[in-house]
Amino acid sequence: MPFTLEQSAGLCEIRASGAINIASAADWKKCLLDALAGGAEIRLRLEMASELDITALQLLWAAEREARALGTRFTVVSPIPEEIAITVKDAGFEKFPIPLNTKAQ
Amino acid sequence: MIDDEKFRRAFLEEARDVVVELEAALLALNDSPEDGDLVGRAFRALHTLKGSGAMFGFDELAAFSHNLENAFDEVRNHRLAVTSALINLSLSALDHIKAMLEEAVGRGVANAAAGAELLEQLRQLTGKPESEAEKSTPAVAHEGALADSGGAGADWQIHFTPGPDLMRTGADPFLLLRELRQLGNLKVSANLSAIPPIGELDPERCYVGWEMVLTTSAGREAIADVFIFVADSCELTIAPSGETADGIAAAEKGSESATEKRREKSAELATAAVAGFPASAAAAPESKPWGRRSYDTPDNASSIRVPAAKLDQFVNLVGELVTVQARLGELAARREDADVAAVAEEIERLTSALRESSINIRMLPIRGTFERFRRLVHDLARDLHKEVELAIEGADTELDKSVIDVLNDPLMHLIRNSMDHGIEAPEARLAAGKRASATIRLSARHSGANVLIGISDDGGGIDAEAVRERAIEKGLVAADAQLTESQIFSLILAPGFSTARQITDVSGRGVGMDVVRRTVEGLRGTIEIQSQPDAGTTVMLRLPLTLAIIDGLLVRVEKAYFVLPLATTLECIELTREDIERANGKHVANVRGQIIPYIRLREYFRMARERPEREQIMVAETEEGRFGFVVDEVLGDHQTVIKNLGRFYRHVDLVSGATILGNGTVALILDPQRLVREAIRSLARGAAGDAHSPPRGRGAAV
Repeated sequence: MPFTLEQSAGLCEIRASGAINIASAADWKKCLLDALAGGAEIRLRLEMASELDITALQLLWAAEREARALGTRFTVVSPIPEEIAITVKDAGFEKFPIPLNTKAQ
Repeated sequence: MIDDEKFRRAFLEEARDVVVELEAALLALNDSPEDGDLVGRAFRALHTLKGSGAMFGFDELAAFSHNLENAFDEVRNHRLAVTSALINLSLSALDHIKAMLEEAVGRGVANAAAGAELLEQLRQLTGKPESEAEKSTPAVAHEGALADSGGAGADWQIHFTPGPDLMRTGADPFLLLRELRQLGNLKVSANLSAIPPIGELDPERCYVGWEMVLTTSAGREAIADVFIFVADSCELTIAPSGETADGIAAAEKGSESATEKRREKSAELATAAVAGFPASAAAAPESKPWGRRSYDTPDNASSIRVPAAKLDQFVNLVGELVTVQARLGELAARREDADVAAVAEEIERLTSALRESSINIRMLPIRGTFERFRRLVHDLARDLHKEVELAIEGADTELDKSVIDVLNDPLMHLIRNSMDHGIEAPEARLAAGKRASATIRLSARHSGANVLIGISDDGGGIDAEAVRERAIEKGLVAADAQLTESQIFSLILAPGFSTARQITDVSGRGVGMDVVRRTVEGLRGTIEIQSQPDAGTTVMLRLPLTLAIIDGLLVRVEKAYFVLPLATTLECIELTREDIERANGKHVANVRGQIIPYIRLREYFRMARERPEREQIMVAETEEGRFGFVVDEVLGDHQTVIKNLGRFYRHVDLVSGATILGNGTVALILDPQRLVREAIRSLARGAAGDAHSPPRGRGAAV
C-alpha cells in the first residue's frame, strides 16, 4: 500500500508515497476512515506521493469535510510535490483545504 | 480493485475494432473523396487510437496515430485534399498501427524505421512538420486546432460530469482537462456537491463534475473531440459563452415565442453537446437541456465483450450436460417411474433451450470478415492495374464464430484468384463491351441449416476446355474422360492444379484453391463453381451454421452406432432380399423408378457378413448425386454435440467426429460426401485392376 497510518496520543499521521489512484482507492478510504476514528488530529504527509487522481482527491475532500464536522483538526503538512499541487489546481478544486504550498514549512 | 492489465487488454481488443472501422472509412473515402462524413469517421477513429492509446500507456502508438490524425484534421478543415496518395499512405500507416498492436500482444515487432519513413512521407504530403510537443505528449496534444489560435478566440462554456463508472473504465478526467488546456485558456471549477459522506462513498466512482470556460479559436467539434471516448458515459454540454440553458431561459422570459425558442435552443445545445458523437445520442430529451445522460438508464451496455475461450468452455460444458441429460433420459425410460420421467423431461427441455442459447451466443455476423477484404481488393487492384469494386450482400448473416474464424483464408484465395485470373484488364473489358470497372460480389445467406457464401465476379469466366486440357496434362483425368461442366470446374480444386502459365505474386501456384477445398471440407462444407464465358464466375460455399452440434439420424449396424447428417438426408426406405435379388447383386435400389446406388456400411467397414433379413437405406444428396447408405436399423433423429476424435485419428477423414449416446456408447459421425467420394475412387481403382487392394482397409462397395 502506498500509505501508512501511525497513531499516538490522539494524533494520526498518514504518510503517502507513490501513486494514490483508483487501484488503491479502497485502501485509501479505509486509511482515512481509520484516521477519522482514531484521533483528535490528523496529519497528512504527501511529500513522497507522486500522484493523486480524482478518486483519491474526492476521498481526501470528503475526509476533510468529515473531520471538520467532527471537530477533528485535519492538516496537510508541507511540502507538497509540485505535480500534485498543479493537479489539484488544474482540477479546479478551488475550495480545497490543502494549502498548496510546495515549500517546507 | 482495478487491474491495469485488464484495461490494456480491453484497449487492444477495442483498438482492433477501431482499426477495422478506420480501414473501412479510408477505403470508402477512396471512392468518395468529397464525403465529409467519411473524413469524420477516419478522424474519430484516429482520435480514439491516439487518446485511448496514450491513456493506457501505448505512447508510441498514440504518437504515431496523432500525426495521422493531424493530417485528417487538415482534411476536415479543407486545408488538405483527399487524394489517392493520401489514402495509400494512410493505409500503409494503418498497417504500421496494426503491427504496433500485434507487437503489444507479443506477435511480431513493428518496424520503427518504416514508421518513421511513413511519418516523413506524411510530413511531405501535408507540408507540416512533426512538432516536438506532438512527439512527447501525444495524449494531451490536440489536433492542430490550436495551430492558428494565437491565444485569441471565442469563449465556450463547458459542462462536464463524468458518468459514475468513468474511472472504472480506465479513463481519467484529468487527462481530458489537460487536453482541453491544449486548445486554449481554460478556467476550471470543480463541482463537489455530489460527493457523499466518506462512509458512503464508493471509492472507485467519480462524483465530481466540472464547469469550465475555454477561450479558444478551436471550433465546437474540436472541443467535443476531446471527450470522444467518454461520450457514452458522461453528461456534456458545449455552448458558446452566454448561451447556457439557464441563460436562454432568462433571456427569453416573457417572450411570446419563448417556449418554442427554448425548445429550439435546447435542441441546438443538445446537438452541440453531441457534435461528433454517434447519431443516436443526438436525440436528447427537451427536459434535459444539459444534453446526454446515457447512464441515466440502468442498462446502457447492450453488449459485452467476452474472450472466445470462455465461450468455447461454456459451449463444451453445455455439450457435456447434453450427454449427461441423454443418459438421464435413458435411465428414466428404464425405471418406469413417473416422477423421475417428469424431471428427466423437464431437464431435457431446459438442456435443449440452453444448448440453443449457447450456440446462438457464438453466432456472429460475417460482416467483419467481408469488410476486411475491401483492403485486399483495393491493394490488388492497384498492383494488378485493374479497376475493381467490392460489393457486399448479406453481411448481417450470422454463423458460428468457429466457422468464421477459418473462412478468412479460403475467401482470400478465392478473391485473389478472381482478381488475378477472372477479371480482365480495363482495356480488355472495354473491348468486350463491359464497364472498365469490374465487380466482385461477396454474399451470404441462410439456407436451412447451412449458410451459402458466394464469391462472384463479372470477369471473363473459366475456360472449361483449358481446364480440361490442363487436367489431362497433369494426369488428373484420362484423355477420353467424359466430364460434365461441373466436374471440369471441380478440377480447379485439385491439389497442384493451375491453368496459369505464369506464376504471379497473387496466385497461380495451384495452392490456393486446394487450400480452399480442404478448409471448406474441414468445415463439413461443399463448393460449387458456376461460370459463363465472358460473364463471370461464381464460387458458392455451402457451410454448416455451426460446427458444435449436428442434426443427425442415428443408425445401427450390428452393435455399432453411427450418425449421418440430417441436412443431406432425403428419405429412409426399406431394403428387402427381394430388392437385392431384383438388382442382380448390384448395389443399386429402385426408388420410385429412380436407380440409386448405395454403400452398405456393414461391408464398407468390414463388419460381420451376415446381414439381417430387412435392412434400411438412408438416401442422401451428395455432390456426386443421390446415394444410399444401407444400415441395419434407423433409430431416429439425433441432435448431438460433436466431439473431436483427437489427434490420433486426425487422418480418418470419413468420420467428422464422435458423440456419446445416452447409454454411454460412442457413435461415429459419418461424412456422406467423403464416403461416396472414397467409394467412387475405390471403384475406379478396382476397374483399373486394383479392386482387391482397397485403400486403408476399406472395401469398394458401390
